Amino acid sequence: MKNNSKRHCLSTMIRQQNIRIIYLVTLILLVLFIVLPIVNVLGLTFFGVGFSENFKELNNDLLSLLFKSSLLALSVAFFSTISGVILGFILYKTNVKYRNFFKLLILIPLFISPYILAIAWKDLSFFVFNSIEYDIYKKYSYFAIILVHSTIYIPLSILIIGSSMTNISKQLEESALLMTDFPNVFFKILIPLIKPAILSSFVLIFIFSISEFSVPSYFGIRVYTTEIFTQFSAFYNHGLAVLQSVLLIVLCMILLLSEKKHISESTFLSVGTKGKEAKIYDSNRLNIIGFWIMITVVFIMICLPVIVLILHSFVDGLDEFVKAFNLLLPSFGNSILLALLGAVCTVVIGFVAAYYSVRYNQNTIDRILLFTFAIPSIILGIALIKFYNKPYLNFIYSGLGIIILGYIGKYSFISAKIIRNSLKQIPKSMEDAAKIQGVGYIKRILKIVIPLIFPAIYAAFIINFLFCLGDLGTTIMVYPPGTEIMPIKVFTIMANAPDSLTSSMALIVFIFTILLISILFYTFKKILTEYNVNY
Amino acid sequence: MSIIKLNNITHSYSNAMILNNLFLEFEKNKVTYILGESGSGKTTILRLIAGLEIPQKGSIFINNRIVTKGETIIVQPEKREIGFIFQDLALWPHFTVYENIAFGLKQRGKKHIEETVFEILEFFGLTDYSKKFPHQMSGGQQQMIAIARALVLKPTILLMDEPLASLDVKSKRKILKFISLLMKKYNLTIIYVTHDHREALKYADNIAVINKGILQESGSVEQIKNSKNEFVKYFLEY
Ligand SMILES: Nc1ncnc2c1ncn2[C@@H]1O[C@H](COP(=O)(O)OP(=O)(O)OP(=O)(O)O)[C@@H](O)[C@H]1O
Ligand SMILES: [Mg+2]
Repeated sequence: MKNNSKRHCLSTMIRQQNIRIIYLVTLILLVLFIVLPIVNVLGLTFFGVGFSENFKELNNDLLSLLFKSSLLALSVAFFSTISGVILGFILYKTNVKYRNFFKLLILIPLFISPYILAIAWKDLSFFVFNSIEYDIYKKYSYFAIILVHSTIYIPLSILIIGSSMTNISKQLEESALLMTDFPNVFFKILIPLIKPAILSSFVLIFIFSISEFSVPSYFGIRVYTTEIFTQFSAFYNHGLAVLQSVLLIVLCMILLLSEKKHISESTFLSVGTKGKEAKIYDSNRLNIIGFWIMITVVFIMICLPVIVLILHSFVDGLDEFVKAFNLLLPSFGNSILLALLGAVCTVVIGFVAAYYSVRYNQNTIDRILLFTFAIPSIILGIALIKFYNKPYLNFIYSGLGIIILGYIGKYSFISAKIIRNSLKQIPKSMEDAAKIQGVGYIKRILKIVIPLIFPAIYAAFIINFLFCLGDLGTTIMVYPPGTEIMPIKVFTIMANAPDSLTSSMALIVFIFTILLISILFYTFKKILTEYNVNY
Repeated sequence: MSIIKLNNITHSYSNAMILNNLFLEFEKNKVTYILGESGSGKTTILRLIAGLEIPQKGSIFINNRIVTKGETIIVQPEKREIGFIFQDLALWPHFTVYENIAFGLKQRGKKHIEETVFEILEFFGLTDYSKKFPHQMSGGQQQMIAIARALVLKPTILLMDEPLASLDVKSKRKILKFISLLMKKYNLTIIYVTHDHREALKYADNIAVINKGILQESGSVEQIKNSKNEFVKYFLEY
């Protein structure tokens, strides 16, 4: 039944040559440059030499590590999603003071690399326990990993859940409010309505958290991903590293596929769409409680880490800070350039994926992006290295190309998602009207579609720019030696450097990122107001 | 003389059959109303005529020229000399009134665009609004812009998909009168979709009544009024 319509859409598409070409070219490039390396590395692992020895290494110890990692990730996903519901409600459905300011502020941790926060929270432990007992420190570390991961992923949860809350039309809640009290409406109407958002927030955060290794590795806690990283970088046993990660990929894929429907339905971020009017609960008590909750959350998630970093950076005076600055200086330009290229590529690919999925029901690219997105960054990195480390592919391997490919694999899914949401709000008739008037295919996209969804495109650009800027997982695997990239520099130096130097570097990266965020959001706001004036 | 002919058209979206072996003809220089309940396939018929939809089976002729045959579009939409007023008007919100009307002309590489646009704006009484955006106009004015945008390309056929549904009776009447004026001026054939049978009986030359994708009856207003068809009788009762 579904097939029939698909075939119909496909036949519509195939008959229009221009349309076909753009889609096919994107598809082929993606398969050749990203999917093929992944398939290649999986093939090598299972059918290459050393498979049987490696297979024996998948022992109980490893499984218990996987179990431990899953528990950690579960805690993070659980805690972040619950917080996302509460904070999403406060920010999107009450009239809390400075609500819009809080909405922006709370996004900051999402764009700060995890290791920056890890450094801050580790620094804090030195203030709190003077003489560190190993046992206490270890317990603290687990707590800190959960806390740091949650801090980073709560904003994501708020975005997903909050935008879903604003999409619920007022009447649904109001008609229920006539019959029963607020708690009942909240639990019996609101929560069930945003269930897709809650589930996708949970699954995505679980996957992010279980694949993230910089935080546990910095705290010196052995988890599944640090184990893979060690196999790869210390023992050079790529086969085993990949084999181990296959377990992780399978786990992630099962979760993603089981929630595929919800994840593809849920809005990540609605930009510039006026939507239905959402119910706002404007009670004094709620506003006051909400305000203080927000103050506390912002303090713990943002202020405290920054204060600690500042204190720690300047314990030994200005010297270390200056040293850190000089160390990082050469990497600023490179990092910005890479992030810009990454953002442009992911937005273009995300647009193609979204456009063909919404208009022609062609979801192949979309699915590929979901697949490469769900693969842990380390594996993506290994796959790219293994594939491109050939003399005739050296121009990709030893240049910036391989890093960009990593970004594309990792983040195109996100831009596709954001653009898709916006595209769905544009009636097809807008394009049909142009088609009848003889406006060609490319012109229609450039003059009608893109201007209409421009805020979403720009939002996707900003978000992916910031993600690429802070990306560590894939970049650390693939960066050509000698290339100066901000997160890599900090991560490689922080293992052996004195604390104040590490903290200084973290602080500098933080300030640098905030600066860029401010510039980008400022221009975004200008674009958005212009957009709203015009429409 | 018929200007449009749908010959044995079958069309379905996903698995749902929307139109089933439909035969339908439209007379030249007449207003033909397509009358039917919501979801009966009216919009689909217009989209097929315009070439925006590809049928699974059957053929479509315009001016005795085959434009769609089976699963192929032979004449592209923009070559069919058709104007289409969409159900939601589909005015481009990021263009001003002027730009909305001028866009198609520019794409076709026409000359004297400004004169042409202002001539039609004047005819519609919209000259003062040329720099405004669609959302700054009233519902009725937006309909006018949509009609002007379609007419500026000098089509011979105008497909109107219930564009006046959201208007009050008076404004509606005014625009309908205006449309009959346009018909003479531009020598148009109009196909007008609605579910309002009173409007159809009043303004149509011909009426085609469809139900669930099947043509019940088509003919002059008199013929339809005296129809023996159960559905037509039922539909005209209210
Ligand atoms: N793009 C589409 N995909 C799937 N089904 C569709 C699509 N467009 C229309 N349909 C279905 O086809 C049927 C006929 O639709 P159509 O728009 O032609 O009806 P209509 O007579 O114009 O109705 P209305 O008066 O409400 O505008 C409906 O049941 C509708 O649900
Ligand atoms: Mg319709």
